[in-house]
Amino acid sequence: MDKFIKRYPLWSLIIIVLVAAFLWLVLGPWPPELVASWGRKQIFLNALLGGITLGALYFLVAAGFTLIFGLMRVVNLAHGSLYLIGGYLGYEIATLSGSWLLAFPIVFIVVALIGLLMQHFIFSKMEGEELRQTLVSIGLSIVLADLMLWWWGGQSYSILAPQFLQGPIELPLVSNINASTGAVTWLRYPAVRIWILVAAIVMGIAMWLVLNRTALGMMIRAGVDDREMLSASGVRIQLLFLAVFGFGAGLAGIAGIIGATFQSLSPGEDIRFLLSSLVVVIVGGMGSIVGAALGALIIGVAEQMGFVYAPTYSIVFTFLIMAAVLAFRPQGLLGARR
Amino acid sequence: MNAPVAPSRMSPVAPGNANSGNALELRGITKMFGALAAISDVTLSVKPGERRAVLGSNGAGKTTLFNCITGDFLPTAGLVRFFGEDVTVFPPHERIRRGLRRTYQISSLFTGLSVIDNVYLACCGVSRKRFSLARPRPDDALTYAAKMLVEAVHLTGEKDRLVGELAYGQQRQLEIALALSGAPRFILFDEPAAGLSPTERTDLIHILTSLPSHIGYIIIEHDMDVALRVVESVTMMHNGRIFKEGRPEEIEDDPEVQELYLGGGHE
Amino acid sequence: MSVTDHAPRFVSRADPRMWSARIPAAWWIAGVVLLFLPVVANSFWLFQVMGWTFILGMIGLSLMFLAGYGGMVSLLQMTIAGLAGYMVAILGTSGALNVSLGLSWWIVLPAAFLIAALFATICGALAVRTDGIYTIMITLAIAAAFFYFTRQNYSIFNGYSGFNLVLPPQLFGVNWREPVPFYYLTLACAALCYGAVVYIARSPFGLALQGVRDNPRRMAALGFNVTAHRVAAYALASVFASTGGILLVWQNAQIAPGTVGISSAIDVLVVAVVGGMRRPLGPFIGAFIYVILQVFSTDILGFFGFSADRFKLIIGIGFLAVVLFSPDGVLALWDRWRASVAARRAAAGGGA
Repeated sequence: MDKFIKRYPLWSLIIIVLVAAFLWLVLGPWPPELVASWGRKQIFLNALLGGITLGALYFLVAAGFTLIFGLMRVVNLAHGSLYLIGGYLGYEIATLSGSWLLAFPIVFIVVALIGLLMQHFIFSKMEGEELRQTLVSIGLSIVLADLMLWWWGGQSYSILAPQFLQGPIELPLVSNINASTGAVTWLRYPAVRIWILVAAIVMGIAMWLVLNRTALGMMIRAGVDDREMLSASGVRIQLLFLAVFGFGAGLAGIAGIIGATFQSLSPGEDIRFLLSSLVVVIVGGMGSIVGAALGALIIGVAEQMGFVYAPTYSIVFTFLIMAAVLAFRPQGLLGARR
Repeated sequence: MNAPVAPSRMSPVAPGNANSGNALELRGITKMFGALAAISDVTLSVKPGERRAVLGSNGAGKTTLFNCITGDFLPTAGLVRFFGEDVTVFPPHERIRRGLRRTYQISSLFTGLSVIDNVYLACCGVSRKRFSLARPRPDDALTYAAKMLVEAVHLTGEKDRLVGELAYGQQRQLEIALALSGAPRFILFDEPAAGLSPTERTDLIHILTSLPSHIGYIIIEHDMDVALRVVESVTMMHNGRIFKEGRPEEIEDDPEVQELYLGGGHE
Repeated sequence: MSVTDHAPRFVSRADPRMWSARIPAAWWIAGVVLLFLPVVANSFWLFQVMGWTFILGMIGLSLMFLAGYGGMVSLLQMTIAGLAGYMVAILGTSGALNVSLGLSWWIVLPAAFLIAALFATICGALAVRTDGIYTIMITLAIAAAFFYFTRQNYSIFNGYSGFNLVLPPQLFGVNWREPVPFYYLTLACAALCYGAVVYIARSPFGLALQGVRDNPRRMAALGFNVTAHRVAAYALASVFASTGGILLVWQNAQIAPGTVGISSAIDVLVVAVVGGMRRPLGPFIGAFIYVILQVFSTDILGFFGFSADRFKLIIGIGFLAVVLFSPDGVLALWDRWRASVAARRAAAGGGA
C-alpha cells in the first residue's frame, strides 16, 4: 500500500478524502441541509446496506463462476441456471421438511453433482475449445431454463426465513437524532440480511484461506497461472477440475436458497444472476476471489443506490462502471494483466 | 538477385536531437519478469545500413531484446530510439510503419491463406490501403509488389499454395519475404537459419548479402558460420548483458568467447 | 476443433471467366425460385416466413461477419438491430405521439444507421481489447444493460410498451408493408448484404480481418493496428444488423423491449451457429430452419405429445446437438455429404 501511495500521491489523497467523507456520511448524524437535499439518512443507510447484502449474494454466485473460469478457462453460461435450480430445490426441501437449514447441505450436494456431471461428460471432452464450451453452456442454459419453467411454472417462489432469523436487528448506526429531545434512533435492519452478509463474509474468508494457505489452494492458483505446468508436475488435474467445478456449482446452488429467502425465484432470475456474475467478474477481474468480492460490493451498492435515488437510470450506472473498467483497465480491477 | 524494395515513402523522421544518425539506439534497456532480469542494462547502437549479429547461448536474452525493440515487450527501464525517434512506448504497428521489420524464430504465418496472400497482406500493412473495402484490380501496385517479393525469395512456383502445405524451408523463405515488404529500413532476423539444410543455408546467405545496402539488420543466430559471414559487427550477450563487441574476425578468435560460447556445447 | 476452424479464406486464384460464369448452376436456380416465389406462395409464406428469414438472416450475417471472418463472437448484434429499429420509431412516426419526433424518412433512415454504427463502434472499442472469450461476456452484459434500460426509460424508449404503428414510408406509391412488396424488399436487402459480405471478404480490409483472426501478433508486426481493424469490423457489421432491425420494426409495425431481450440476442447466435458460421450463406439457412420450426412448432410439439410452450426446449436441444456433433453447422453437414458423394463417384469411376 505504501508503494501505491508513493506512486500515486494525488490519487491517494483523493481516495482518503472520499473514504473519510463516506465514513462521516454513514456514522455521523446528518445536518438538516443534507436531509433536505438528499432525503432521510435512514433511506441512505437502508440503500447502502441493501447494496452490501445484495453484493454478498452476487459474490456467492460470482465466486464460483470466477474460479471455474480462472482455473479451467470455461465460461459456464449455465451458471445462472445452477443458481435457479438450487433455489427451486431448496424451496421444495424447505417446504417438505420444514427445515430451512437442512436445505443447504442437500442442495449443495445435488447441484455440485450436476456440476460434476457437466464437467465430466461435456466440458472435459472439449478441453481447449473455449468457444465451443461456451456455446454448449448456452445450449444447456436454454434447455435447463425451459425444463424448470415446465416443472415449476412461471410464478414466483419464496422461502420463508426461519423463526430465529426473522425480525429486525438494531445496528450501531445512527439513523436519526431527534432535534428537540436529542434522543438517538438507531437503525433497525432485517436480521436475515445481516446474517447472510455475515455468512458470505465468512465463506469468502474461508475460500481465501483455502486458496492462499493450503496445498490445495496452491495447486489451484498454480493451475490458474499455468495449466500445462501443473499437470506436468504430476497433479491429477482432472480431479482438481472436477472438485473446483463441483464446488463452484454447489456454491451457486446455495446462493439460490439465499436468493429465494430474501428475494424470490422466478424464470429469468437465472439470467439476472448470470449477468450479475458476468459484470462482477468483468469489474473485479477474472480468477480472483478478492476481485469477485470487490466487484460484487461495487455492483451491489451501485445497483441498490441507483434503484433508490435514480430508478430509471440505475442500470446505466452499472453499465458505466463496467464500461469505465473496460476502458481503463480491461483485465478488471484486480485481474492479472495478460 | 536483388530483392526489389520500393523507395522510402514513410512519414518523416521526427526531429531528434544530436543522435549521431543511428538507425537503432538502445540505452540501458532492462527487462524484468518478476524477480528475473532477462536482460540488464543493454546499450548498443547500429548505424543505418550496418549489419550486426547478436550471439549468445540459450537464455542469454537475445529474443527478449528483439521483443523490446519491436514493442512486443515494454522494457522495465531504458530507451529505444529508431532513426532518432524515441519509440520506447510505441505499440508494434507504429514501429513497423516507421520501417522496422522482424522475422520469427518459429514461423509466424497465416497457414490458412496462400503464399501470395500472406505477402499481399504484408504489403498492405504499411500502406494506406489497409482499410480499403474495394477488391484490388489486376494491375494494382500492391499485388505487383507482392508478386515481385515472392519471386525474390524463389517461391513463385508455390505462390497459390496454402502456407500450411509448404515445406519448412519454404516457410522460412516466406518469413523473409514478409520482412522485405513495404519499404523496410531495418530488419531483425530471429534465427533465420534454424532447421535449414546446407543448400538452403547457402541460399539464405545469398539473400541476406544481396539486400540493398541502405537496409541494416540485426541477426540472432546460433549457427556461427552463417552469422559471421553476413555481418560486419558482432555483439555477444551472456546472462542478459552485453559481454563483448567487435568485428567478426575478432570475435571468432577471442579466447574468452571460445571458452564461454564455443566450449560450452556449441554444435 | 473450434467452431470457426477452416474459416473462409481469401483466394486470389485468377479465374479468367467473367463473374457471372463463376456462379454455380444451383445458385441460378435458387435465384429464379426466389424471384418468382410470389407466383406460387401465399402472403403468409411471403411475409411471415420468408420475410422473417431474410431479416433474421441479415442480423445473423452481421454476427457471422464478426465471428467467422474476425474471430469475435458478439452477442450485441440483435441489440444493434433493435437500436436502429427503435431510432426509426423514435425519430419517425409512431403511435406514441408524445415521444416520436415525426421526421421524414430521408433523415430518419440515415440517422438510424449512423446512431447504430456509433453505438457499435463504442461497444466494439470496449469489447475488443481483451481475449476473445471475454467478447461474449462483455457483449452479453451490454446487451442486457440496453434491454433493461429500454424497459425502464420512458422519455426516450417509452418503457414496457415500446412503439407501435411504425410503418415504412410510401415510396414510389407502394405500400411496402404489403406481402409481395415487403418480400421483394427484404429479398433485395438480404441479397445486397450477402453480396457485400462476399465481396468485402476478398478486399484488403476483409483479408486483414481474417489475418487478425488467425494471428493478431503477426498482423501487428506487419504494421496493422489490430484494435482499429476489429472496431472497424464492428462498425461495418452494424450496417447489416441495422438493415435487419429497420425491416423488423416495419414488419411487426412495432418494437418493444422484448425485441432486444437476452433471449432474442441468443436466438441470433443459435441461428448463425446452426446454419454455419463458415460461409455467409449459413445464417440464412439457420434463420430458415428457425423460422420454420417456430411456425410449425405447435404441430411438431403436438406430434410428440408436448404443449406448444416447449418451443425453447426444442431450440435448445437442436442447438446443443449441432454444437456437440457438427460445430460448423448445417452447412458443414451439407459439405461433408457432398464430399462423400464426390469421393464415392471418384472411387466408382476410377476403379475401372
